[in-house]
Amino acid sequence: MDEALPPVGFLDVPTLLEASGPRPRVPLIWYVGGGFLVLMLSTAIAGQQSPQVRQAVEVLSTLVFLAMMAGLSMLTVITVRKLRAEQVAVEGAGELVQLRRWPQAAWALQGILSQPCRTHTLRAQALIYLASVLTRYHRFDDAIAVQNYLLEHELTDPSSAYGLRLGRAMAMLREDHLLDADRAISELRRTGPAASAGLALIEIFRHVKTGHPEDAVQLFEDKLTILRDQLGHRVADAWALVARAYDLLGRETEAADAFRRATLLAPLIELRRRYPEVEKLVDRYQAAQAPAEMA
Amino acid sequence: MIPTESAISRVRRDITLGMLLKFAFLATIVGCLLFAPQFAKIGVLAAVAVAWLALSFTSARTSRMNIGSPTLIAAGQFEEAERQIDQAMRGFSLFRAAKLQALHQLAVLRHAQRRWQESAALSRAVLAQRLGPADGLGRPTRLMLADALLEMNDLRGANESIQTLYRQRLSLSEVLALVLVQLDYGARAGEWERMFAGVAAKVQLAELMPAPRSARAQALLALAALRLGREDWAAWLRQRVELLADVNVLAGERPILWELWQKRD
Repeated sequence: MDEALPPVGFLDVPTLLEASGPRPRVPLIWYVGGGFLVLMLSTAIAGQQSPQVRQAVEVLSTLVFLAMMAGLSMLTVITVRKLRAEQVAVEGAGELVQLRRWPQAAWALQGILSQPCRTHTLRAQALIYLASVLTRYHRFDDAIAVQNYLLEHELTDPSSAYGLRLGRAMAMLREDHLLDADRAISELRRTGPAASAGLALIEIFRHVKTGHPEDAVQLFEDKLTILRDQLGHRVADAWALVARAYDLLGRETEAADAFRRATLLAPLIELRRRYPEVEKLVDRYQAAQAPAEMA
Repeated sequence: MIPTESAISRVRRDITLGMLLKFAFLATIVGCLLFAPQFAKIGVLAAVAVAWLALSFTSARTSRMNIGSPTLIAAGQFEEAERQIDQAMRGFSLFRAAKLQALHQLAVLRHAQRRWQESAALSRAVLAQRLGPADGLGRPTRLMLADALLEMNDLRGANESIQTLYRQRLSLSEVLALVLVQLDYGARAGEWERMFAGVAAKVQLAELMPAPRSARAQALLALAALRLGREDWAAWLRQRVELLADVNVLAGERPILWELWQKRD
């Protein structure tokens, strides 16, 4: 969880989008098929020559055939190994994101996306992780650019696309693009599942941000079970936001309790980074104390 | 519902058939190159190539049938998942990986249905095969087997499976699954000190799990802390668990965890 920021100019989104596009595939199967056809024809023509020539061509064609088969097998093995290596690299970057090792994840993704990816699927996966890393470094406009690119080019399955839309709406709110965020939230309501904790969290954030704490509290109370079941430890975000909502309403006892619960589930430093609104609670309420070994 | 024994024997039979076919193709090519007259050679090689391509196409279609079932299982659509797995099992495939994948998916389905004995039998059948290109199935299958054996109270079998995993390089998701299985095993075997060792790292890993698993992992750690007299940890973890899961459901699944809440009263 190293906090050091990568250098300026690092993770340049237009460059990475341009560089990571898969190259068109060489139609190898047609070359091999053509080679096989030429081999068959030359053997057939040689069949009309003298027995010595015919025998020599037969041996030669057998050797060429075997060489073609061996070459094709070797090429397949090499291709599969390279594909597997790229898959391992992308999965590794995903694990670094999950472990919140942001600088390492950023370097890994810079490496993966600086050259053409082998498949669209792996590239899309790497770009999804890139959007997370950019969000973590508060480069919200860059994150939105990556998310828009993925959505506009339909590079992901419907479930990942929904996750991307959630991330984009959250980034829009963080960048104060409130109109865009409104539109994005309406779209999420129309297209998403009936009970979405991600959407509920975004709406709570919007209510807090736009000065509607009553709505934030109401939504939180209605959706608490879904938030808990779907978000796991990220339910801390909802507790932190509702703490701010209670605080805005002057309900200090409830604000203190919600703030304690939020900090019970997530480190305060992480919550402050995710939501600037939490900053206003830090000096007023007591964070939960973790055992010393957790520090 | 696909009977376990017939699924296992069908997969074994299909794997043997696939191997025989591959051997027959190879023998035909070698024999043809060495002994067949020139014009017959071309014809036979072309026929082998066409047959290989056709069977590869069918095999690829069978492999694709395996793709959808994990999502269906995760979404709780067990009947649809069973139908897809059944199709994948009945479909022909030259490649053992596709057949083993289908058997593994059936084990995952039975595990999700809490049919532990069947899940364990299917997992053992997958692990008994030479996995080869399906090597990636070994670790998740072993983790599932360990979990199923724990549910069946077979501590020795579960421990054997866990020990095998220590020698392998695991992905993050596999590490998370292993941590939970280890904690579950530790609580049943009463290995409180071992459970509590490296508690901070285990808590950080538990934070990455989905809510119900995270809650169970932290509740088991809280129990270990309580047994070792670490009331600070026990209280902190217990409060976190209360925010992550319904305590009645959690302790209903693992009655030993009631102790966490009884002691407090």
